[in-house]
Amino acid sequence: MMAGETPIPRPLPKAPAYWTAAVRIFDLSVGEMLWSRRTIFMGLVVGATVVISVFLRLLDAIGAPVFRANGVALSGSAVFGSFIWFFYLRFIVPVLGVFYGTSLIADEVEDKTITYLFTRPIRKGAVLVGKFLAYLACTIFVVLPSVVIIYVCLVPVRGSLGASFPDLLKDLGLLTIGLAVYGAVFAFVGARLKRPLLVGLIFVFGWEQAAMLIPGYLRHFTIAYYLQSLVPHAMPAEGLVSLLQSVFVDNPSLGASLFWLTVILLGFLWAAAVSVERKEYVLEQ
Amino acid sequence: MTKKTRIFMGSSAAILVAGIGTGLIAYYGGGFPSLSASRSGPGELSYVPADSAVVAYANVREVMDSQLRQRLKTLMPQEQGQKEFQEQTGIDIERDIDYVVAAAQTLGAGGVHEPSGLVVARGRFNVTQLEALAREHGGVVEEYKGKRLIKATNVEKRVEAGAEGSTTDSYRTHSIVLAFLEPGLVGIGSEAAIKSSIDAQLSSQSITANNDMMELIADIDAGNNAWAVGRFDAIASQAHLPQEIASKLPAVKTFAAMAHIDGGITGMLRAETKDDESANNLRQVVQGLLALGRMANDPKATALMNSLQMSGSGKTVALSFSVPSELLDMIPQGIKDGPHELHSLPRELHDLHARPPVPPTPPTPPTPEK
Repeated sequence: MMAGETPIPRPLPKAPAYWTAAVRIFDLSVGEMLWSRRTIFMGLVVGATVVISVFLRLLDAIGAPVFRANGVALSGSAVFGSFIWFFYLRFIVPVLGVFYGTSLIADEVEDKTITYLFTRPIRKGAVLVGKFLAYLACTIFVVLPSVVIIYVCLVPVRGSLGASFPDLLKDLGLLTIGLAVYGAVFAFVGARLKRPLLVGLIFVFGWEQAAMLIPGYLRHFTIAYYLQSLVPHAMPAEGLVSLLQSVFVDNPSLGASLFWLTVILLGFLWAAAVSVERKEYVLEQ
Repeated sequence: MTKKTRIFMGSSAAILVAGIGTGLIAYYGGGFPSLSASRSGPGELSYVPADSAVVAYANVREVMDSQLRQRLKTLMPQEQGQKEFQEQTGIDIERDIDYVVAAAQTLGAGGVHEPSGLVVARGRFNVTQLEALAREHGGVVEEYKGKRLIKATNVEKRVEAGAEGSTTDSYRTHSIVLAFLEPGLVGIGSEAAIKSSIDAQLSSQSITANNDMMELIADIDAGNNAWAVGRFDAIASQAHLPQEIASKLPAVKTFAAMAHIDGGITGMLRAETKDDESANNLRQVVQGLLALGRMANDPKATALMNSLQMSGSGKTVALSFSVPSELLDMIPQGIKDGPHELHSLPRELHDLHARPPVPPTPPTPPTPEK
């Protein structure tokens, strides 16, 4: 630059739109999230179910009476249905929702890296939405393949892959919806509350379990109530919890379930994004 | 996104696509039941007409040889009826019949109760003795498309009031036909049923050409020695349920019942509903009943209820059961305690049937009000 020459003001780059920003955050977060310690936990839990199913199949192949309950021979599709109920719907999906959802913002606050994200020229809400999408991608790409492996492994035992195929699609769909809804609820909890993990665990293993056993309208304030009505498999009649749920069973219709799950997902995701936009995060020194 | 992340996601997606692809191929592969299903079930299904609403099978030999049967035999030695049957027909039910296939067709036009049952039995039969017995009882020998038929007429069938335009209960006659279909294979049923059975076999338009029914039969586990499949509407219409109850029954399309009888009885009842919602409703009803049943204090009832296991997905509702031999001990106990009551029951029923109907009491004329 020559002396006396006035510098040409460089135009400020335009801030990316909300969704563009969310996609960039997604791109940035997905790798971090996938290779975190949390994913190792998820891998262990999901891997355990796959190992159990392979083990059961091998035992069945050598003639061990493993596909039996109360002396009754069960088909592979019935056992697959039990896996979806016990492992995925009642444990894996809510727990992953709690662990990942509550940490979307809390982790950044804890690591004191949230400042770097919030000083970028993007909406704060887009950060949360991007991280939520990353969570969804991470969990879907780990959970759903495991379901498919279990399906291929178990269903052919006294069953038919073809006949159970529509149920597999329903299972994959409802697990995706479950991960999204639980994730959105706990993203809000994580963005809003101080001890989100504790609150999340109490909600999943305390409130939801208790409300589902009590006759009346309380169960309408759980996610499990709407999610369980989408399950194409019969609820396994094992244990006191299942017994009581069987007595007080009252499933909403498919349309009502999908409607309320969508409302919960969008409502809590919006509330979480608004909460992040408005909240001032004070980093502890 | 790093390369490592992309590789992981690509691998996950590949597993997902491979699994879904396998399911998809299996799903559409199952769309050709004529290739696979026609091989299911006994060969005698070729004698079952294609429009049969219910088909059943029982491996009589296996059931007779079962431990359960042997135990019942030691406890109920007097089988006079069986002996008489053997003396007259030369057929020892214990040894001479291997298996039977039974079928029932739908109601006749206008809901008329035409006798439409058909039983095809495979075994060792003394044709001469059977034919002689039939002739003794006024049977007439006929030939139909190369098959020998023995027709017994004047078999009375009760026609209920209201049916076929009658205002009172009445009796009408029809024919029962015994047909020698093949060496070692006999068919018993109404004349129409036997003739349509022979036609079905000759024209290859038997139940094996009915893909819906053959799919149901193909789903029967090979280990079962007795089973029945069919359309639920056929049963519901025969049950003469009141309209209020019939309208509240879940929309069940087809049913399958199968059992393996040996030391105990294990089996499954399976129903296919019209849609997922009906299946959910049915599951809820059954699950609620099972849950209530399990709350009972009686240990025997609890053991029985615990053996009931509900499963099924989508439109299918399945209820498995297992009645172990220990649980069946309850039956011999009842016999030991009161054999008289049990054995006298059929006689009472017989007497009741033989007794002429009591004419209805004429209505009392109304008393004029004063």
